Amino acid sequence: MSSTAPQLRSRLPRIAEAAVQRARLTVVPRPRTRPRAPRVPFVTLVSVILLGGVVGLLLFNTSMQQASFRAAALDQQLADLTAQEEALSTELQELSDPARVADRAQKAGMVIAGPPNVMNLGTGEVTGDAQAAPPAQPSNTLPVTVPGPTKPKVLDPDPVIVRDRGDDRSNDANGRQDGGSDRSRQR
Amino acid sequence: MTRPARDPLRASPQFRLQVGFILIAMVLSVFAARLVQLQGVDPDEYAAMAAAEGSVDVILPATRGEILDRNGKALAKSIDGRMIVADPTLTADDAPELASFLSQRLDIDYFEVLERLRVEGSRFQYVARQVPARLATQVVADAEAEGFVGLFMQRDPVRVYPFNDVAANLVGFLGTPKRNGSARALAGLEDSFNDYLSGIDGEARYEVGAGAQIPLGDSAITPAVDGSDLALTLDADLQFYTQRVLQQTVEGSRAESGIAVIMDSRTGEILALADYPSYDASTPQDWPKSRYKSSALTDVYEPGSTEKVLTLSAVIDAGLGKPRQQYVVPGVLNRQDRPIHDHWAHGIEHLTLAGILAKSSNIGTVLAADEFEPGQLRSYLTAFGLGRQTHVGLNGETKGLLPKGEAWTDQVDDRIAFGQSLSVNAVQMIAAVNAIANDGVRIDPSLVKGRATLDDGTEVGTDEAGTRRVISTEAARQTALMMERVLDPVDGVAPLASVPGYRIAGKTGTAQRVVESCACYDGSHTASFVGFGPTDDPRFTAYVVVHDSRTGGGGAVAGPAFAKLMSYALRRYGVAPTETRPSKLPVEW
Repeated sequence: MSSTAPQLRSRLPRIAEAAVQRARLTVVPRPRTRPRAPRVPFVTLVSVILLGGVVGLLLFNTSMQQASFRAAALDQQLADLTAQEEALSTELQELSDPARVADRAQKAGMVIAGPPNVMNLGTGEVTGDAQAAPPAQPSNTLPVTVPGPTKPKVLDPDPVIVRDRGDDRSNDANGRQDGGSDRSRQR
Repeated sequence: MTRPARDPLRASPQFRLQVGFILIAMVLSVFAARLVQLQGVDPDEYAAMAAAEGSVDVILPATRGEILDRNGKALAKSIDGRMIVADPTLTADDAPELASFLSQRLDIDYFEVLERLRVEGSRFQYVARQVPARLATQVVADAEAEGFVGLFMQRDPVRVYPFNDVAANLVGFLGTPKRNGSARALAGLEDSFNDYLSGIDGEARYEVGAGAQIPLGDSAITPAVDGSDLALTLDADLQFYTQRVLQQTVEGSRAESGIAVIMDSRTGEILALADYPSYDASTPQDWPKSRYKSSALTDVYEPGSTEKVLTLSAVIDAGLGKPRQQYVVPGVLNRQDRPIHDHWAHGIEHLTLAGILAKSSNIGTVLAADEFEPGQLRSYLTAFGLGRQTHVGLNGETKGLLPKGEAWTDQVDDRIAFGQSLSVNAVQMIAAVNAIANDGVRIDPSLVKGRATLDDGTEVGTDEAGTRRVISTEAARQTALMMERVLDPVDGVAPLASVPGYRIAGKTGTAQRVVESCACYDGSHTASFVGFGPTDDPRFTAYVVVHDSRTGGGGAVAGPAFAKLMSYALRRYGVAPTETRPSKLPVEW
């Protein structure tokens, strides 16, 4: 700003005069103001928005919490129903175990089929050498169960048979059953 | 107005400002240092502490895949289970009442539970493990309702085998899960496909309040990757039938053990593979450990005369013989180290090649095989798949024993021609014979439908099954016709293996048996029968092996079992009889 410096110095006396002039106090005329808009509605509006926001947030949060509890409850219900479904499908599978089906079939008197005849649906021709299945005999009946595991003697001891004492035998006539059941209860 | 004189004790405003700023800077420096400490030096520890406050970590368990049969029936499946655990510091007071409650509801031993509920100095005692989730939840809820405290539950998946012993030899089983809930595979496919079935556990971490997840709270979820289902080629019903027929056969002939396999001739899919004796996969602890395997794959034996089928089909394929070719078969054939006999005493017989097979003449087979060039029989047998693992997907498979190099002497060559001095496993053998049923093309046998990855990374299954031409179509057809003569009521040795209404080709085998205890022939026999049907359009190949049968050889013991299995399979899959006449190839001349 080197160029303005000399000018400032030359104008200084005039500026000082003006300042002196200004320094005389005068009554400032009252500025004309526009009629102010009433403040109450604005404040009310802002308060309502603020309050609405806060209450809305609170309600939103609460409903989220509610939903979260509900989600937890539904999760639990899902787990329960899944477990139930699993239990039922396991039961179904146990019922469809071939060994069980075979056992039921044999008990119902069913036997394994003999050779079938085959009909060609196009020509109506029947081929094959069908024979009636022979009646059930031990030789053609399927064993349904597998022989159980053979346990070592230590794990599968012979049953211990305790014979009644001689004096008990004399009681046989007058109610053996009562005496027997009493003894077994004591054991 | 005069300005008040400056208080001499008060420093200049600038000085006071400087002091103030220095103080603020010092405080901020402390904050900054703390920030660096928190974020730079050990951020993880603090982050973990912050996260642990009010947040929970949950393992999202991966569901183990099911093992299914070809129709989608589950042979092994996982259900959600719980372990019920007691805290003895809480349960000791009313232990007797709680023990009686638990023993009634869970079917467990009263005294054992009582003891566990009273253990001193422990806060974790198993009450019951692998209880189905529904039952466990109910029992614990009821216990709480009755005022008992100190019971809690943890995840403990249950593996169930709904069909018990059906295919147990193949499926295997899982032991009690490890402490972290992961599976402990102990045998069978459960073991060899453990990784494929297991899946990968996921993890979830979220903030909780009052037992429910806090919405908008921090949460991170790594979803679990469930294990894949393993679909097998087995047919559960056919497998059951096969196991029981084999059981009947083994028990009926007072034999030691047996194997039965049924294979789809066209695809190489194993429909049934039975071992007897076997075990029950749902109660494995009750059975001897030696049964936790499939001896059809793990055990070798000498195939005996059933192997003649392979030798003679190779003779025909190599152009060294024809079904009607005539041979003079002496009663005894003196070879290098010892004489070769037939299973029946005879003088000089005039047999055709078909007759040699139908009557199962060792001497005739050796004479026919004499035409081979050195090494030719071995390369045929290798092409049939002997001496190599079948890779169906079970661990511990044997590759059999096919001598090579120096070990393949002339004497060995003679004996191998009729099925001794070499060892096979049952699946190898059925796959080899199946090549004849399948027009001379050998298909790799498969147990897995589609494709699945073994724990060692190899993929197996029907999609991976390769094919290889071993003999010509014509040689396969002629061999099949010769095999039909084996079941002829007059000329053959195994009329009992025939299936009424169907044309069946087959071959008996009665081999001397090598026993492990002395590694020698102990005089016992392995009776077997292999065959396929219908001869002119084969659908199934079946193989029955009975070790140490006491009531007869292949035709008498294994033949009837073969007939039952073949008849059932043909009926079950609705195969119509072919209505053509069986071969009448001459057996003598």
